[in-house]
Amino acid sequence: MNLFVNKLYIWSRSQKNRNLFIQFIFIIFVSFFIYYLISKALLLDMTLSHFDSRAGFGISHTFVIDYTSNDSRWVSYFTGVINTIRVCIVAIFFATLLGTIMGVARLSKNILFSTISYLYVEILRNTPLLIQIIFWQIIFLKLPRISEALTFGNTVVISNRGILLPSASPSDNGNIWITIIIITVILSLIVSYIINKKEDLEGKSIKLFNFKFNGNLLSILLFLTITITTYFILQKPFNLDLPSLYQNNKGTFLQSGGFEFTPEFGAILFALVMYTGTFITEIVRGSIQSLSKGQTEAAQALGLSDYQTMTLIVLPQALRSIIPPLTNQYLNLTKNSSLSVVIAYPELFMISRTIMNNAGRALPVFFLILITYLLLSLVISIFMNVINRRVTRIGT
Amino acid sequence: MSNNSIKWFFGTFFGSVFNSIVTVLSALIFLFLINNIIGFISTAEWEVVTVNRRLLLIGRMPAEHEWRIWSILWITSFLIFSSINSWGSPSKRNLLFISFITLIICLIFTTSSTILYVVISLVICIVSYTVSYFIYKSSYQKYSQNSLKTLWILLLPIIFTLLLIGDGPSPNLWGGFLLNIILASIAISFGFPVGIMFALGRASSLPAIKIICTVYIETIRGAPLVAWLLLAWFVLPKFLPTFWGLNEISVVIRAMIILSAFTSAYTAEVIRGGLQSIPKGQIEAADSLNLNYRTKISLIILPQAIRVVIPALISTFIGVFKDTSLVFILALTDLLQVGRIIPEQDPEFFGKALEALCIVAFLFWIVSISLSNLSTKVEKSLGIGSR
Repeated sequence: MNLFVNKLYIWSRSQKNRNLFIQFIFIIFVSFFIYYLISKALLLDMTLSHFDSRAGFGISHTFVIDYTSNDSRWVSYFTGVINTIRVCIVAIFFATLLGTIMGVARLSKNILFSTISYLYVEILRNTPLLIQIIFWQIIFLKLPRISEALTFGNTVVISNRGILLPSASPSDNGNIWITIIIITVILSLIVSYIINKKEDLEGKSIKLFNFKFNGNLLSILLFLTITITTYFILQKPFNLDLPSLYQNNKGTFLQSGGFEFTPEFGAILFALVMYTGTFITEIVRGSIQSLSKGQTEAAQALGLSDYQTMTLIVLPQALRSIIPPLTNQYLNLTKNSSLSVVIAYPELFMISRTIMNNAGRALPVFFLILITYLLLSLVISIFMNVINRRVTRIGT
Repeated sequence: MSNNSIKWFFGTFFGSVFNSIVTVLSALIFLFLINNIIGFISTAEWEVVTVNRRLLLIGRMPAEHEWRIWSILWITSFLIFSSINSWGSPSKRNLLFISFITLIICLIFTTSSTILYVVISLVICIVSYTVSYFIYKSSYQKYSQNSLKTLWILLLPIIFTLLLIGDGPSPNLWGGFLLNIILASIAISFGFPVGIMFALGRASSLPAIKIICTVYIETIRGAPLVAWLLLAWFVLPKFLPTFWGLNEISVVIRAMIILSAFTSAYTAEVIRGGLQSIPKGQIEAADSLNLNYRTKISLIILPQAIRVVIPALISTFIGVFKDTSLVFILALTDLLQVGRIIPEQDPEFFGKALEALCIVAFLFWIVSISLSNLSTKVEKSLGIGSR
């Protein structure tokens, strides 16, 4: 017995053995906890079989998928996913634009410009996003009623049911033209890659009639000529779709045609752009400030203008330290888009909530939400990592 | 105007073509905003806020329990105002800011029936401020600092005792701004220590602990807070043990649990950033002094790691405070919900949604801006960035 205690003592003196022991105890505790959770979860129905049955509720915003209430719940869920993706892509684009402009403005010598940026950040960053969403919804609903809608010569109709903009709808040849565009984009990317590579290796650029062509210019010219000629060959692949406002025989106003920018979409878009924009502003400002002052001074010594200094010297270098926190903000934006449940913009969270309310079985639906958001985050992260790799490669 | 100032004016505003365009555009934005704000303020009717002030601040808490709120307010104002002077005098700008905030809070609370209470709190503020000023100058400085630290730690238990002691109102009656503040303080004071533990776990060299902590953090951060709150609404009670009535806990407690878990995950990520920023020499020095793990963490690593991330930490806390407005998912009536429901349901105040929303936003803004002001002050006093 004494020998065993002695051996145990010697065994425990090794750091490696002690680490093993600690991990073993930890795993036992965690697995007990997980076992408890699973045993409770098994009492619930964990299947998603109810997603195959009829959804039975309408969705006000459909995009790409033509959804009706007779479709299955899966279709309604994917309509929500597409709505989320749609609002996120538009919001990410505009938030980046706004944040960059405001971040530069914050450091501007122009007092008026920097004050706007200061007030914008300090006010909007410190109020909850939810309040801002509701605020924009109230603003959109304060637009004139549809009977007194503002019209601008049959092209734009503004009322509290939304803003109608002219759009283009594809005719019979439209799909052919779209495929041609996609093929041309890929083709011109390949052409520009090959020519740029050749230029890098040989140090010579292609000359035609004493005019230098670099790869980017050539591919843009290629793209434009092909798309424009095919547009005329196919004879109007797109029809202009103008919005119209009319009264039916009972006197109620109806609107049709055009691209509809609804108050819900507008409210969630404005709020997300304005709110995320404040954080991007701070990121851009911090990154620019962290650059050494010699860069700006060198640019000024070369005689570059303020605008050129910003776009050619400062921002490209600041981009390196901007992108990692920017990715984080994009992920936050994606998750924050779920708050549009409060103004009934039907994105994936609101539709899953409706399904939970209708059919119960909250836990499997929750896992579906979790996986969807994780996938969206993964896509954004991969995309931003690719950009990050490109950006950090410049000049190294 | 001298020649120089004219030169300065044209230099800053119309120095180049690009600059002139920017100036004109910003002036137009300013005019548009000022025009709209003046238009709104001149037509706004603030009756919706003044009549429903009680509901907005403390929800449906019965009048006989009001003394609890007042005593909490007194204790907190005593603590805040004695802390201002106990670690060095504030700058003039900070003092101006503090008096501005205090004035606004007093204005918010003042009605004909509560003016006595407000005056008492003002007196407490002034007395504790002056007394702490003299203590800071005297030799009792260290004692007062230590006792204040203890009181700050005990503040949350004291508040809850005051809220619950002797047949206090049930948590379901908490509402309005009170609910936001309670939820945020609970979430932060539980989430912060748990978050530190998860951050250490994630930075640990033991693979099992590392993987489990990473999975926890990434799962919680993977889904939005509203989704977690919805989960708490539907399934959390089914996962709790059946004894002590734990499976019938009130919605407020569920919100607290979810918010704390959420805060812990986000704090852990912030602190992990701090842990990574510590130079390896520090850890090696601690190892060569033969410090054990606990001493190494608590004396060498954590103080330095937390010091670096204080700004990020406080902005996370501000985020948590703002996120407490999401408890509408659990059908709780927090400040924002009260501000939304009143103009929708009370026929007297139809169409006054914007006025109510403005005040709600203002209250959230005041707390957040005070916290971010505190963060810059702490940052300066610790010398981050200058060292």
